Amino acid sequence: MNKNSQRVLGVVAAAALVLGSVALTTAQAATKSVTLVYQGPLTGTDAQTGQDELLGAKTAVQMYNDSNPAVKVTLITADDQGEGAVAGTVAPGVAANKNVIGLIGPAYSGASIASFPSYKATRLTMVSPSATRVTLTDAKSPDNGFPFFHRVVGNDALQGPAVVRWSIDGVSSPKVYVIDDQTPYGTGLAQAATAYIKKMKVNEVGSDSVVQKTSDYTATVAKIKNSKANVVIYTGYYPDGGALAKALNDSGWAGVFAGGDGVLNDAFIGVAGKAAAEGAKFTAPAVPFETAATDAQQVAFTKATGLKTAAGHVYVTETFNATNVFLSCIKLGKLTRAGIQQCVATGTFLALDGKTVLKFTRQGEVVGGAPVGGFQVVKGIIKYFGAV
Amino acid sequence: MNFSVVVSQFWPLLINGLALGFIYVLISLGYTMVYGVLRLINFANSEIFMVGTFATVIVSRNFFGFNQNTDPLHGFKLVYTLGACLLASMLVSGVTAVLVEIVAYRRLRAKGTNRLASLISAIGVSIILQEGVRILTHSVPMSNPRLLRKAYIFNIGSVGLRVDTLLVIFFAAILFFLVDRFVSKTLLGKAIRAVSMSEETSKLMGVNLNRVISATFLIGGMMTGAAAFLYETVYENTKYNVGFSIGLAAFTAAVLGGIGNLRGAFLGGLSLGLLEEFAAAILGTQWKSVTVFLVLVLVLLFKPNGLFGEAVQQTRV
Amino acid sequence: MINIRDRGAELWENWNRPKRTTFVILLLAVIVLLPFAGDYSFSSFLNTPISSYQAVLVYPVGIFVLMSLGLNIVVGKSGLLDLGYVAFFAIGAYTAAILGTKTHLNIWEIMPIGMGLAMLSGVLLGLPTLRLRGDYLAIVTLGFGEIVRIVAVNNRATGGPNGIANVPNPPSIFGVRFALDNMQGFFWIILVMILLVIWMVRRLSIRRPGRAWEAIRQDEDVAMLMGVATLKYKIWSFSIGAAIGGAAGVIFASKSMYVAPDMFTFNISVLILSCVVFGGMGNIWGVVLGGTILAYLPERIRFISNARQLVFGLALVIIMNVRPDGLLPRKKREKLHKTVQPLAVEGEQNV
Repeated sequence: MNKNSQRVLGVVAAAALVLGSVALTTAQAATKSVTLVYQGPLTGTDAQTGQDELLGAKTAVQMYNDSNPAVKVTLITADDQGEGAVAGTVAPGVAANKNVIGLIGPAYSGASIASFPSYKATRLTMVSPSATRVTLTDAKSPDNGFPFFHRVVGNDALQGPAVVRWSIDGVSSPKVYVIDDQTPYGTGLAQAATAYIKKMKVNEVGSDSVVQKTSDYTATVAKIKNSKANVVIYTGYYPDGGALAKALNDSGWAGVFAGGDGVLNDAFIGVAGKAAAEGAKFTAPAVPFETAATDAQQVAFTKATGLKTAAGHVYVTETFNATNVFLSCIKLGKLTRAGIQQCVATGTFLALDGKTVLKFTRQGEVVGGAPVGGFQVVKGIIKYFGAV
Repeated sequence: MNFSVVVSQFWPLLINGLALGFIYVLISLGYTMVYGVLRLINFANSEIFMVGTFATVIVSRNFFGFNQNTDPLHGFKLVYTLGACLLASMLVSGVTAVLVEIVAYRRLRAKGTNRLASLISAIGVSIILQEGVRILTHSVPMSNPRLLRKAYIFNIGSVGLRVDTLLVIFFAAILFFLVDRFVSKTLLGKAIRAVSMSEETSKLMGVNLNRVISATFLIGGMMTGAAAFLYETVYENTKYNVGFSIGLAAFTAAVLGGIGNLRGAFLGGLSLGLLEEFAAAILGTQWKSVTVFLVLVLVLLFKPNGLFGEAVQQTRV
Repeated sequence: MINIRDRGAELWENWNRPKRTTFVILLLAVIVLLPFAGDYSFSSFLNTPISSYQAVLVYPVGIFVLMSLGLNIVVGKSGLLDLGYVAFFAIGAYTAAILGTKTHLNIWEIMPIGMGLAMLSGVLLGLPTLRLRGDYLAIVTLGFGEIVRIVAVNNRATGGPNGIANVPNPPSIFGVRFALDNMQGFFWIILVMILLVIWMVRRLSIRRPGRAWEAIRQDEDVAMLMGVATLKYKIWSFSIGAAIGGAAGVIFASKSMYVAPDMFTFNISVLILSCVVFGGMGNIWGVVLGGTILAYLPERIRFISNARQLVFGLALVIIMNVRPDGLLPRKKREKLHKTVQPLAVEGEQNV
């Protein structure tokens, strides 16, 4: 490369930086409006979860802005890649943005803990659609987000027992094998499930921890077969869960494969293959958007996202609900962080179906606990079986 | 510690460990051949593997139109479909490897600079490949339709041998044998070996250096591509970041056997596959990679140049 | 191609003492004021979208530069390829997190402990492995980095995958506060640490250890024949580098107030190594420049969120191909024996 082309490159790079900052400033210069931010993994390994959730937030904001309110709402995104280290850099920036009055998220528990110090210091209210770790709302834990953290999703202490109940439902003399994926989410859910197994005196025949991105599950399958387990509970995410279910099926193991909300995804069937996925059971503190939404909400969803249906996308309902909590407060004229915090902490809100009432406890959980739904793959389609 | 698993599940662990080991063998050829010729770690090889897995999946899904609902194939159709996928993987990976050499290494080599510059350049290329595929696939895993019925073809006592693991062992062994013959018998193979012994001397003897290096990358890449195809037949899934852990394992295998040495890679790959399976079964899957590295350190302490070391200089690539 | 390094050196050589002092003071003043650059319109182009500019200056920029300087001693000065540098960073960070939450020691008291533990692990790892050459060392250090992370994931004392929350901020010194809303405090303390490391490396370079490292890097066998205690000096270089990594870890833990295993992946090792090579191996100013650019660039281009890493990879390939010795390479003199240019030309360049 000669001197000239180097110079050109330099100029292009500088121009790109300047243009980037211009684009950002113009985006903020709207008329009377407030800003909500969605924080979650939009790139990186877990990008799919964040992109799915963003659909729910977009839909809610679209519906709100279409109703011609006095104050428009702008939705911006903060990509924390679902990782604590990234969240530690992103959160101070979000916290310092004075236009932001509420935060939808953080989506992941680890990223939440890394973000809490910043949001507590700047008094930014959070409503998370999917951070399920128990300690986040535990007053005794060092990593709680009190009083600014709230969540519209049931925590692992609710889901752990539910996944055990649902997985052994209809199995005579169940022998359970629990496998986690060594992520904060997976180990948390596995602990909750194991505690319930002990409490109910279910027969747990073994446990294993398999890191994410493992491709070969031979050793795990061997251990499961050796233990004569007939129920496997996998607490992790669908790419690995699908591969494990496939390996189990290919080895000739016939039993119930079950998982939590991390595995509940249409893509699970693709990864595991139809034969291995058939009969797999999932739980999720989540109601599928397409079953709960009204026609108007479906229309708004399509308009906001360009997608025909929310099927196969996770946490859309929860993100919609979390966004709606903020939007209800904005409708009441709460346009400051202090006003929003007071409103979210004390107010009563309606969920997507227009019937379920959401109200937060002092620690930020939904009063009465969010329902945990049971799902099962029937003839290649994930079916919702109601609360379990 | 759980030894009862080893007793009751010994044969599945052994056979699957061997199959995994053979996949490592083929990938570690990509590392070891390049290292032999250029004395540098081809960091982008894990991405060359990743590209190969996508080649197989795309050919079977888009070219042949298979999907999750299609039934596995039989007879002649099975053979030519698998053959097409294998060729596609080898071709795509081989060509990618040659391109990587041209983009990341050639200029730097011409300037005769330090090897770390090439290493960083290779890391850059591997980030580009990985991120490019991630953006194209929206970070979603892609699954390979089942082409080959995973049937147990024969039983020895209580031990079932599954057709896909046998296919891996069979194919990988043949390919390794071919490469080994190629390097020791053909003219190009001899040129590769000459360059790996002394670049300067072989240049003086009239070896076209760029051609030999391109050929090395092509063969290494094709073997990595073949591994990618075999991987897809057994595990049937891929994702943009599939290369990282498997590439790391293959690289470890190459070092374990003595990097730069073909037969060392063979031994290293097989030992690593078996070691991983048994360590995971006995100690728990989470301690698998720790065990592998501890064994590696121990081996290097006693044999600082790997299992095969420099002793068999003649078979060096 | 313009040789920025030689031009700079030439300029510097021709200056007299007052001129040099003024330049250093001005440069330092600009750097010290950097955290406020985002607040004024004329310098607001430095601002990072979405993530906080002041936080970015601390992590990744400041900490990456500090770690790059530490790794430069190992890779750049003595030519040992370390692919697991993140291990020492993690050891420092976990020391700070465990002692900071379980004992009453404050971060400044923990600092020497963290550095000491990192150094100790450097010696323990170095004793058996530093006998290995080049790429064998690379894979062993890589393995060590992974082992440290896996142990952290599987250990109760380190909080498992959940990590450790509520690591305390350091108490203030000389009236400078260290808190989330006062990031410049962290930036300044890291700046001081960077200056100390630079000072130390420059002293060492011209004394016996520096000359021994240089000899080892150029030809280990010859160095040993000439009576250099190679293993001893290699372990010194390794453990000094480790101590700096540990110090960076301690500061990082108390800055982010939270540590978890997923912060200490292999990627960090690769990134730090890239900073060193990208900037110019062996040259302190090059390494500082490399660390700054590679840490800052991905945050600055967050507005192209999806293609951010892709651009980063492109930058690595292009720069390494255009400037294989890094942006500011070390002096040519050291490579004399490798080039085939006539001596007279080399001599001219060195005058």
